[in-house]
Amino acid sequence: MEITFILNRQKVRVDVPADITLLSLLRDYLHMTGTKVGCEVGECGACSVLLDGKLVDSCLVLAPQVEGREVITIEGVCAEDGSPSDLQKNFISAGAVQCGYCIPGMVMAGEALLRKTLKPTRSEIREALTGNLCRCTGYQQIVDAIEMTAKQRSQTQSGRDKNV
Amino acid sequence: MSDLQYKYIGKPADRVDALEKVTGAAKYVGDYYLPDMLYARALRSELPHARIKHLDTRPALNVPGVIAVITSEDFIDHGRFGFPVKDHFALAFEKVRYVGQAIAAVAAETPEAALNGVKAIICELEPLPGVFDMDHALDPDAPQVGFEREDHKHPNFLDMSPVYKGDPDEVLKDCPVVLHEEYRTVHQEHSYLETEGALAIPTSDGGVTVYCNNQSPFITKGNLVAVLGLDPIKVRVIQPHVGGSFGGKDDLNYLTACQVAALALKAKRPVRMTFSREESMIASYKRDAMHMRITLGADKDGTLRACKAIHTLDSGAYSSQSPFTAWRASIHAMGAYRYDAVKVEVTSVYTNNGFSGAFRGFGNTEACFGIESAIDELAEKLGMDPIDFRLKNCLRVGDVTPHGQKLTESVGLVECLETVRKLSDWDRKRAEYARQTSQDTRCGIGVAVLFHGTSLGAEGVDCATNTIEILPDYSVACASGLTDYGQGPRTVYTLITAEELGISPERVRILLADTDTAIDSGPTVASRSTILAGNAMRVAAQTLARTLNFAAADMLKCEPQRVMRIGEAYVGPNEEPVSWEKVVDHARSMGLVLSAHGKWSAPEIHWDHHKGTGTPYFGYHFAAQVAEVQVDLRIGKTQVLNIWAAHDTGKVIFPQGALGQVYGGITQGLGYALMEEAIYADGYLQSVNFDTYLIPTSMDVPDMTARFVETNFSPGPYGAKNIAEPAMVPTAPAIVNAIYHATGKRIRVLPADLERVALGKSLHKRGSPVSCKVGLKVK
Repeated sequence: MEITFILNRQKVRVDVPADITLLSLLRDYLHMTGTKVGCEVGECGACSVLLDGKLVDSCLVLAPQVEGREVITIEGVCAEDGSPSDLQKNFISAGAVQCGYCIPGMVMAGEALLRKTLKPTRSEIREALTGNLCRCTGYQQIVDAIEMTAKQRSQTQSGRDKNV
Repeated sequence: MSDLQYKYIGKPADRVDALEKVTGAAKYVGDYYLPDMLYARALRSELPHARIKHLDTRPALNVPGVIAVITSEDFIDHGRFGFPVKDHFALAFEKVRYVGQAIAAVAAETPEAALNGVKAIICELEPLPGVFDMDHALDPDAPQVGFEREDHKHPNFLDMSPVYKGDPDEVLKDCPVVLHEEYRTVHQEHSYLETEGALAIPTSDGGVTVYCNNQSPFITKGNLVAVLGLDPIKVRVIQPHVGGSFGGKDDLNYLTACQVAALALKAKRPVRMTFSREESMIASYKRDAMHMRITLGADKDGTLRACKAIHTLDSGAYSSQSPFTAWRASIHAMGAYRYDAVKVEVTSVYTNNGFSGAFRGFGNTEACFGIESAIDELAEKLGMDPIDFRLKNCLRVGDVTPHGQKLTESVGLVECLETVRKLSDWDRKRAEYARQTSQDTRCGIGVAVLFHGTSLGAEGVDCATNTIEILPDYSVACASGLTDYGQGPRTVYTLITAEELGISPERVRILLADTDTAIDSGPTVASRSTILAGNAMRVAAQTLARTLNFAAADMLKCEPQRVMRIGEAYVGPNEEPVSWEKVVDHARSMGLVLSAHGKWSAPEIHWDHHKGTGTPYFGYHFAAQVAEVQVDLRIGKTQVLNIWAAHDTGKVIFPQGALGQVYGGITQGLGYALMEEAIYADGYLQSVNFDTYLIPTSMDVPDMTARFVETNFSPGPYGAKNIAEPAMVPTAPAIVNAIYHATGKRIRVLPADLERVALGKSLHKRGSPVSCKVGLKVK
């Protein structure tokens, strides 16, 4: 069937079977492999993407459900100039990356949280990551990276507010 | 050595592969979609023990889209393989020994067609009685799992690893305080976020190139050469980015590599097999389960005198690494203490409970839970503080270990214990929590220590070779046979190269592991990369640095020893400074070779496997961890509030990476302590995905505090030791000792889940084969 949706700010139209997941659409049909396969039962979060700005497991979304909607994957996360986003840079400098397999999903989960609040507590950050499993890092440096980004963004925002 | 002398060693640095991982650009084996690529799927056993009566793969070839099918007949000697025991086959031959064992494999145009092909295969299995209890595996009437043995021992006997010092039975007679208890650990699933997989591409010369997410590509290559009968020059194994392993992606993935390679050669097209999570959990090997029987004796003043540790290790259906795991368990079974007499015997046996192999800590994780629980119980009997008791008896420089090895340097255990005592506010909390009377929730604080032998030890030949080369763009490319599957050695090699050559780390590129460019340096296991390949990298870089220094001296018209460095530039007493690029150009014009090999061999050691004495390892990592918990007595729920960890790692080369190893290791240990249990019921795994096999989430783990005690270790590069495995080993006993402090209830069987904490036992659950049977056919 034909599906039209916004993928990383670009309109795309695909003709795919109706019974595939969004995860399969992204990987097997569009070959966008930044979104990872982990469990395919909605437990690990490796396949996290933003659907209309909300964090979802793409393995639990059927492809036809994205018709007319907006999907952001890890390939669509970057700063305005196309370089890595502040959150991605902070993942690097905080040492949040080891094997890296959960990291695209973790970046999406972090981004989803920061769209909701720029003043999360560490405990709120941990809660926002409960749907994303990581076996390497023990989560601590991932929490650090998101906390650092929240602080930087909220400083930039308050700076902007003052200027207005 | 002071930090001031180093520019990059021990200083903040970014992981070399972090950028491509945060952007999603890093490719893992399942991310390769090649033109004409086929998808492979294995037919896997739904019985724990059976004879293969009839196997007919022809119907699979009639399924639309199926291109090739293989069985054990497609391999030399049926693909028989295994080290140290050759008891496994690339595809099952004559018998299956566990649920999930691959019997045949199909390659097809789509994953769906491959699964349909698997379903079409006619496979008649005649069920055999199985062995599911390791304590009865060696009964005279136990069903036979293993092959007949030449020495006429029980076919289910795999190996026995002893450590002997004096006669503990005699010493125990003199001990006024004796403890005898039994402890059990269960199978643990590695739970790497990326499942197993391999991609084989046939080459025009009749060979094959295999991308495989294994740890040790040279062992994969060796197995491919052996079972396919190919000229080694025609077999190439490349390791793409690997999504975690923790010991878990070797043996099973050697089979996967052999299967896709045979299919690719038959189909003459690229073939990729990547596992579903269910297939991964059912088919993959686990941490062994261990049954430990420990006797300790001490004097009234708290001096430890004797230790007996008689353990059984469930190796499951195949040997895999179990004889080595049992050996490491035996070496560490008595803990990091002095004794007058010791007797350790760790026996590994075959059962039909999946199969067991390497997993972070490699026998020590299991053994440490036993001995550190027992030491805590003995301290209680003696009325001593657990840290005081450990400080009184623990190993120090100058001590001789129970194995007969004199420790001459780098024993930081006392400092580790004192560090966590102070950080955790131990003495105040021990006293305060002992006064709790609430029947609802209580807090507790517990400690555990560890020693962990560096590298392979007397298990095998221990050396590594790295290579280095300056490329035309003045970057420096290095290769190592010891690989990066997330632990971070590529960054360690980068920092060492930059330090030795006096260049920016940005110039250095560590190639992904590839058997065509790297040199076989043994397996990437046993937390050995930093010491072995780190030293090899240093030797290679130093060799190249001498060459460049010679060229610089020629340019600067001075003696080589008078050449100095300012930043990357070379400076002499007479001439203007010259840049790194100019020196490289000059060296080339002089005809000098701008590449080098660096080889490093570990100090020679010896272990007598019969007498149970010797020098098992050339060095040891020491550590102490303290856990603080809150237990809800009503429902048995334990929340870990804090973990403080002090690790004697020697000199830390890549601090951010070392911290990550500690945090991640503690988290796996926390899972092992509280929630992780891969239960086999009559050979059927009961949890086949993350909805029922629970691993710690971000909410289960507290913010952790880690400190490094950097005792100098002369054989290590810059004095460095190891970190990856030791990070997880003491966590479970520290948590369980804390639970005892909170509740007064001693948990001797892991995990300390709600039932065991609240009721003191696990409630009986009837097992079911359904999850496995359904899981093996998941689309």
